[in-house]
Formats: sequence, structure tokens, C-alpha cells
Amino acid sequence: MNSFLTRDILVKWAPLLVLLVLIVFFAAMEPRFFSVRNFARIGISSAPALMVAIGVTFIIIMGSIDLSMEGTVSVCAVLFAFAFLAMGGTLASIAWLALPLALLVGAVIGLINGLIHIRLKIPSFMASLAMGFVGTGFALLLTGGDRIRIEDEAFRALLTTRWFNFPIMVYVALLFTFIAWFIQSRTTLGRNFYAVGGGEELAHASGLNVNRVRVLGFMLAGIFYAVGALLAVGRIGIAETATGNNFMFVAITSVVVGGTALWGGIGGVWNTLIGVLIVNVINNGMVVIGLPGYVQDGVLGALVIIAVVLSTDRKSVSFVK
Amino acid sequence: MDFERIKPHLPWITLLALVALVGISDTNFLRPQNLISMAADIVPLFIMAMGMTFVIYIGGIDLSAQSMANMTTVIATVALASFGIGAALICIAIGAIMGAISGFVTTKLLVPSFVSTLAIGGVVFSIGQWLSGQRALYMDATLRDNAFGWMVGNTAGIPHEIFIGTVLVLAGWFLQTRTTFGRALKAIGAGEPAAAASGINVTRIKIMAFALSGGLAAIAGLLFAVKLSGGSPTIANGFLLPAIVAVLVGGTPLTGGVGGVINTMIGTLIVAVIRSSMLYFEIDATRQQMVFGIILIVAIAATIDRSKLRVVK
Repeated sequence: MNSFLTRDILVKWAPLLVLLVLIVFFAAMEPRFFSVRNFARIGISSAPALMVAIGVTFIIIMGSIDLSMEGTVSVCAVLFAFAFLAMGGTLASIAWLALPLALLVGAVIGLINGLIHIRLKIPSFMASLAMGFVGTGFALLLTGGDRIRIEDEAFRALLTTRWFNFPIMVYVALLFTFIAWFIQSRTTLGRNFYAVGGGEELAHASGLNVNRVRVLGFMLAGIFYAVGALLAVGRIGIAETATGNNFMFVAITSVVVGGTALWGGIGGVWNTLIGVLIVNVINNGMVVIGLPGYVQDGVLGALVIIAVVLSTDRKSVSFVK
Repeated sequence: MDFERIKPHLPWITLLALVALVGISDTNFLRPQNLISMAADIVPLFIMAMGMTFVIYIGGIDLSAQSMANMTTVIATVALASFGIGAALICIAIGAIMGAISGFVTTKLLVPSFVSTLAIGGVVFSIGQWLSGQRALYMDATLRDNAFGWMVGNTAGIPHEIFIGTVLVLAGWFLQTRTTFGRALKAIGAGEPAAAASGINVTRIKIMAFALSGGLAAIAGLLFAVKLSGGSPTIANGFLLPAIVAVLVGGTPLTGGVGGVINTMIGTLIVAVIRSSMLYFEIDATRQQMVFGIILIVAIAATIDRSKLRVVK
């Protein structure tokens, strides 16, 4: 095999290649796909999912998994809405405090998640799945099944005000993507995520407090879920128990399709950006070329399997559970 | 007293304690009629949980069970018109095949089961939506009664669901304790590398376990469709959490190797009692999910075998 096309290079660039091929394909099928208006639409649908997916990226880099996003997003959205309305219901007043409050709620849920995982020694996928159920249940308890409308003009500007044809929420998502990239590559915490994912025993032996890194990772993920929740509320102007629906499938799909390996240690924020775009380009493109919406879950399911297979180094894994 | 020695007996002790507790606060709960109808209502959930048991028993998880049951309600409703009772076979076959695909993806393609079943769940969900046209479908009453009337109804005051559940649990118990397949399952659950080293065809057994889970989820969906006389791609939503809870509170740990279908039967009854006790204690239905989520965490923490997890990821 020639040296330019090793498996590593292929795996590294495959996601971007897939994204470009998809864009060319849909553009060829339907020229309307390739327009600024449609790209703005893809941006809007990607923004909340990107935040949630970036949150879980940190966890997956550590080789763990977090399936609590649906519950966390719902709780953050609902508590934000309650606090926002209670404090005046407009960003021009003291109610802006509801924004940092939502992030705090996300961090606290992440903390609980991490502590359950670490202290009770439960595998993270199950600890977080259970916490997700608790979260959804808690959101349901808070709202009693009602929808809470957020009609504040200043907050809805996330969607309604556009700079260069793209709504503000897209720029907010990009800003937080840069923050995530900074944490990942320029801070000790970020390095430590990779250290834990690359080999936990080695990390532990070299004096790293692995448990602390894990808990911090879950808290960080919680904060990003909260940002995702805020953008999701900004997008439709409603906070409810169902705000978190489907984020689990989309986020995991995006991270994996973007090329972050489930085994940890490989991938990162940019992979996830590509992954989220792949998922949303597929979702949007299928609708644009006239396929029914329900085909998406099936296609994404197949894509996930292909992505995991491609990113798995078969020599290093003997069996999986 | 040594906790490890009581541990295997905890599920049924919990069940009896719960029944006694609810019974004391409201004696109506203990009326045979009430207990029987409670048991009959929980049968679809039990069937799904029983399938899940096989997968958890080998240390995996099946997150597609709920989507599988959803899809089956649709398939059963659609197929009933042209195939009559043959619709049941179609449902079970499709469920088993989709489960086997999950198993194949997990064992051959080395995709962890929570991802592979999530992905196959997505595929199955799409199929359900496509077949149903995203609507709720209804069965023709005469056709339903001719083909599946025997599934519902009463004999000597006992609902037929209970017979179906009993037959399935006996079959599951036989499979688990009296066949080589059951032995192999136990070996894999106890330690996969050792099982492989001793010559067991681990891949085949694991794929069969996933296929069983898919097939049983399909039977659960079928029974559900018959009971409600129709199907929709979202009708069984909310089944996944109680099904996993039933397996774990029954005493089959996430790490596998111990427990089994009888444990899951007890676990399902615990879930049923907790559910109805919420009615008796007038706990709002909106709290159910939260309560079950917390119970799940407690159950996992209490049952999991940490000596098997070198590193808890």
C-alpha cells in the first residue's frame, strides 16, 4: 500500500471527504440545496446538536460515554424558562441571570452523573442512561407536561436576527466550539482527557487523578448540554419535557460519524463539527430532494455502524460487550 | 449475616416486602382479582424484559427493544389483513432477524452493543414509521378476534396473557438451564475470553442471544398490538426504562453471568407493584419515570460485580 493512503490518514480525512461528497451529491440532485438560505437552515438545525455533541465528545475521548443528554437538556431548558419568566421574562432585565443559571444546572447534573459513575463504580453508559431517565422524569415533574413559551424579543433574536444571512445562534455555537477547542488543546484538563482515553492505567500510574478528570469531564459536558438547551429553546421559543428528545441519537451519531473513536483517545471538537454537519446535511438533503423524513433514522443508524467499524483498530480489540 | 449470601434472595424478599407494605396500607390491593389483573397487565413488559435478560446475561445491552416492539405493532396490524395468524410468525421472524443483525454487528464488526442496538433501533424505528405512514393504525375487529382472540380474554377468571407469560417463562427457563445453549450463555457471561478458549462458539451464541431478545421484543409488541387492537410507531414508548429496571432489580447484573429469566419475572413483578403502589399512595404519574430512573441506579449499583470490571469506563 502506498504511504499516502495509510489507514490512519484515511480515517482522519474520511469524515471531511464524506461531508464534501454529500454536499456535492445533494447539490447535483437539487440545485436549491446549494443556496445560502438552505445553508442557514442547516446551520439552525445544527447549532443545538453541535453543542450537545461537543459535550459528549469530551466524554468519548476519555473512553467513557454519556447518554444523559436528553434528560439534561430538558431539565436545563425547563429550569431556564421558569427562572427567566420569574425574573421578568426579558433579557433587558435581571432575567439574563437565567442564562448562567442554566449552565450551572447543566454542570450540577454533570457532577451528579460523574459522581454516580465514579463513586458507585457503575459503567458510564448505564449510569448516564439512568440519569437521563431521571432528568426527563424531573423535567416532566416540573412542567406537569405543559409547554412554557419564551416570547422575549431579545432572546428570540438568537433565531430572528441575522448577520450575513445566518442567525445569531449559529455564531454562538461557533463561539462555543472555539471555547471547546481551546479547552481541548490548550488546557491541562483537555490534555488529561486524552491521557485518560489513551490508557487509563498509564494515566493513573503517571500520577493523574483519573477520577477527578472524569468528574470534571461530565461537568463540562453538562455545561455544553445546557448551551445546547438554550439554543434549542431559542430556536422554537418553547421549553418542555420534549425539548431534549432525539438528542441522544443525533449526538452519538454525530460524534462517531465525525471520526472520534468510541475507544477513546482519538478525535476531538473539529471531528464533531464535521460529524454534526454530516448528520444535518443528510437530514436536510433528504427532505430537499423529496425523501420522507423518517428515512433519516435508518440511514443514520447504518452510518453509525459503518463509522464505528472504520474507526476500530481490529488488531487491538479482541471482543466487545 | 453476610451480604453476599443474602444477595441472591434479595429480589423475592423485596417483592414480598413491597406487596406486604402496599397491602397493609390498602387491603384492596391484596384482593386476588386485583393481583391477577396487575400481573396480566405487565405481561408485555415482562416478555420484553425476558428477551433483554439474555443479552444482559452475556454482559451486553439491547437498547433497540422498544423500537422493535413499536415496529412490531405496526407490522402485526398491517400483516393481519392478508396473513391472519401468520402475521405472528412474520413479526417474530422480523424481530429475531433484526436482533441477529444487532448481534452480528456487535460480535463480528466489534461495535459495542449499546451503540449497535441504538443504531439498529434507529433503522427499526424508520421501518415502523415507513410502514405505518406515521399514523396510528387499527386492526379489523373480526380479523383480530379470529386470528388472535385467544391471546386476550379469560378462562376460569384468569386472563390469557398470564398463560402466555407462563409458557414463555417456562420455555426461557428450560432454554437457560437445560440446554447447551444455556450453559454456553452462562460461560460467556461468567468470562468471555475463558469461554472462547474452551471452545465455545462465542460469536454464534451471542448472535443467538441478541436474536432471542429481538424475537421476544417482537412478541411483546404483538401482544401489545392485540391488546390495544392496533399499532403505531410510538405506541410502546416508555417501555425501555421499566424493562431494563425489571432485569436489574430481578438480580441479573449488568456484568452478566448470574440471574436469568426467573429473576426477571420477579423483577417485572416488583416493577408492577411499584407502579400500582404509586396509584395507591397517590403519587403523581409524572413522577414515575424519575422514580424508576433512581431505582435503576440503585439496582445497578447493588448488583454489579465489580471484580469483573478492571477499569470502569
